[in-house]
Amino acid sequence: MSGDMSTFFSISVIFAVLMVFTALYCILTSRNLIRILIGLELMTKAVTLLLAVGGYVSGRMALAQSFIITLIVIEVVIIAVAAGIVIGTYRHTNDLDARKLNSLKG
Amino acid sequence: MSVLLILVPLAAVLIMNLPLHKLMRKLAFWVGLVLCMLQAVLIIRMPIGFWNTQPDLLYRLLLFRPFTDNLAFVMFLSIAIVGFVSLLVARYAIENDGSKLFNFTNLLLLAMAGMNGLVVSRDLFSLYVFLEVSAVASFILIAFNNGKDALEGTFKYLVLSAVATAMILSAIGLLMTVTGSVSFKTLSSVMGPNSGNPVVLLAVALLLGGLFIKSGLVPFHGWVPDAYSSAPSATSILLAGIVTKTTGVYALIRVVTKMNLLTHQVQVLVMAVAAVSIVVGALAALGQSDFKRMLAYSSISQVGYIILGLGIGSNLALAGAVFHLFNHAIFKSLLFVNAAAVEKQTGTRNMDILGGISDKMPVTGFTSVIAFLSTAGIPPLSGFWSKLIIIIAAWKAGFHVYALIAILASLLTLAYFLSMQRRVFFGKLASGFEDLKEANLWILVPACLLAAITIGLGLCIPWLLNSFLLPIRSIL
Repeated sequence: MSGDMSTFFSISVIFAVLMVFTALYCILTSRNLIRILIGLELMTKAVTLLLAVGGYVSGRMALAQSFIITLIVIEVVIIAVAAGIVIGTYRHTNDLDARKLNSLKG
Repeated sequence: MSVLLILVPLAAVLIMNLPLHKLMRKLAFWVGLVLCMLQAVLIIRMPIGFWNTQPDLLYRLLLFRPFTDNLAFVMFLSIAIVGFVSLLVARYAIENDGSKLFNFTNLLLLAMAGMNGLVVSRDLFSLYVFLEVSAVASFILIAFNNGKDALEGTFKYLVLSAVATAMILSAIGLLMTVTGSVSFKTLSSVMGPNSGNPVVLLAVALLLGGLFIKSGLVPFHGWVPDAYSSAPSATSILLAGIVTKTTGVYALIRVVTKMNLLTHQVQVLVMAVAAVSIVVGALAALGQSDFKRMLAYSSISQVGYIILGLGIGSNLALAGAVFHLFNHAIFKSLLFVNAAAVEKQTGTRNMDILGGISDKMPVTGFTSVIAFLSTAGIPPLSGFWSKLIIIIAAWKAGFHVYALIAILASLLTLAYFLSMQRRVFFGKLASGFEDLKEANLWILVPACLLAAITIGLGLCIPWLLNSFLLPIRSIL
């Protein structure tokens, strides 16, 4: 890696790591189920950034682009299913509070 | 031709969902059964050369060249058997409701296509794609009946699974920065010289962590009991029998062996996680009163054995790990089939209420005894041999403490299964179950089939060991 590339790489990775920690904070502390889903999405965005950096630094941007597009499509499916689960929970409890998801223990 | 194992289930799902004729929806169940049987028969009958050839046209269309070896055969076979059993149990447990059975069949075929794809993938990114395909299908299968508990279990699984895939993907991104490629072949040659590189170390840690979550090993096991116990019976069979095994354990075996990851640190990490899983899973199973929850904890403990075999890393240990993977798919499915029968006939899974129902349900009682003896490692059943191979390999490689842990945890396994048998099947009939009946053929046939496989494999071990198990490493 040349000097410029190396700086670019460290800055992007630091930014991605910050985003992952923000997402983890969001998932761990929020009590609203929708907010947890937003945290998951944020985490995926950080990962997408990492993939783009990987493609750019290694000079294989075309490969990384096809990965990112596939990843975006898959994430949409996951979030759609997750939103369906949240709606199902809401129909049972009339509430989006994650603390009410506590019937399974042991 | 192994690409057909992905394409045919997908095509079947597409065709069945075309609005052509009402008959389609009725036939779906039988189509699913035939596809599972076809997969099992073809895997046994066709030589390895047949599976590794691919017409040029298909390659140009798909740009995907699958890859098949002995380990992949084991996985294909267990996917076919467990899928078949799960469909039969769905027919039994989902009261002849046409549209529900239709939806179940569709999702099961999707999950099968995803798992078959995962088995043949030869780079990290397609591994991730197929992992997600089977994961999405299994999320919907767990929440199938829309019950409150099932939705809760699914949500927990979904969040942890999303975190796991984020970890796997960031590992892919980091590995790409260093090597510019994600195929196992390139990665295996690049990992050695770069093993001190901090970026590579971080990537390997993330990859292993993600796959540990997916395989439900302690300390990432939180979702396993919730998802297994709240899911409908047929889904529990599929999930415990094969989905976790393929998306977690098989992917872990494939990644570690293909990428030559087994350095000293990785070995210590993997074996420590495996030993903790074996002990914690067995201890937690002792204290359960819910039938399926106990089986879920037992599953965690058994997966620990497989990972222990992987961590030892010698040829013998890997053969034992793969054999235990197959055995576990068979006997854990059998136990979940028994749980399904008990739950449906008695209306409860609480082992404190049940008691002495072996008199009323003789076949279920008998097959569950076979399955638990195999899990606990009693000769000559198949589970004994695979555990024995792993323990001998651990001893020979100098990991005497781990071998001891594995043997002692085997006693714990025997303890919690004996307690389960005594509380559910043996002894005096509990009050309220006087007019209990044996389950019908839809569930007795798969139970007998799985029990026969467990006994048969145990008796054929001398032949299996030399002809199939020991060569596994040379092809990996």
